[in-house]
Amino acid sequence: MRIEKCYFCSKSVYPGHGSAFVRNDAKVFRFCTSKCHKNFKMKRNPRKVRWTKAFRKAAGKEMTIDSTIEFEKRRNIPVRYNRELIQTTVKAMKRIAEIKGRREHAFWKNRMAASREKLLAHRKKKLQKTSVKLLEPMAVDSPGAETVREKIKVPAKPRSALIAGEGRSMGMDLD
Amino acid sequence: MGRLRRSRTHHAQRDVHRAARTRARTRDIDQIQLIDLDPKNRAALEAQALDYEKPGLAQHYCVECAKYYESDTALRSHWRSKVHKRRCKALKEPAYTIEEAERAAGLGREERRSTVLPVQDPERDMIV
Repeated sequence: MRIEKCYFCSKSVYPGHGSAFVRNDAKVFRFCTSKCHKNFKMKRNPRKVRWTKAFRKAAGKEMTIDSTIEFEKRRNIPVRYNRELIQTTVKAMKRIAEIKGRREHAFWKNRMAASREKLLAHRKKKLQKTSVKLLEPMAVDSPGAETVREKIKVPAKPRSALIAGEGRSMGMDLD
Repeated sequence: MGRLRRSRTHHAQRDVHRAARTRARTRDIDQIQLIDLDPKNRAALEAQALDYEKPGLAQHYCVECAKYYESDTALRSHWRSKVHKRRCKALKEPAYTIEEAERAAGLGREERRSTVLPVQDPERDMIV
């Protein structure tokens, strides 16, 4: 059983999933989904399509040179089954994944720090370019328009139908 | 980064699925780059025998764009066109391959191990 990689997006293609196209020079192009297949048929270059792994690697968005990436390889010589070897391999895989995750996070953090500076510089530059500055409209129109309204105290009247002599009782006025 | 997608990509293209059929497939950019642009193959493609099935009897072929033209004037005007120039530019950078897709996914290739041990010179050993 071999887990292939998608030609377009480089995702894993598990047995029984996706599709393959065999070109007339016997090259096998594997696709994870119909989306990738369609993009291939449109003759798009995966290096220029933003959502592919190839783009991310080519544009420096992901780690490309690292010792943790070197382990996964296509090996064409079969290895005889060995219980101990499998055990140690599984253990090593977990450990490598842990280290790789940590390094990827560090890489991402580093990249984000640089991009934040860039973003701030860009915003500053953009502000300088635009000469029109917006002001608060109220402040421009009438500087002293804001008047303080006095509170008027209204004497609270008991408004209940149960209390007589309020003008809206049901006739039984007391003289 | 800048813009990656060129402008004016929206055309009223009908029958996209028909154009993408396997029998209507044209040569891929990596095939052109690695095989067709080789001077020997290029000469053979430019001087094809009369073929009644192909446009212009297969006499006016643009190797870069893998396309037959009806006449020499049509081919010449194509060479001056934007489509052709764009294709020439795309051919300058290395084509995307299956190996690159695998490398992007973190899957390397194992180099073939040499089965024969490196032969040491017996004479040199003697001298040293």
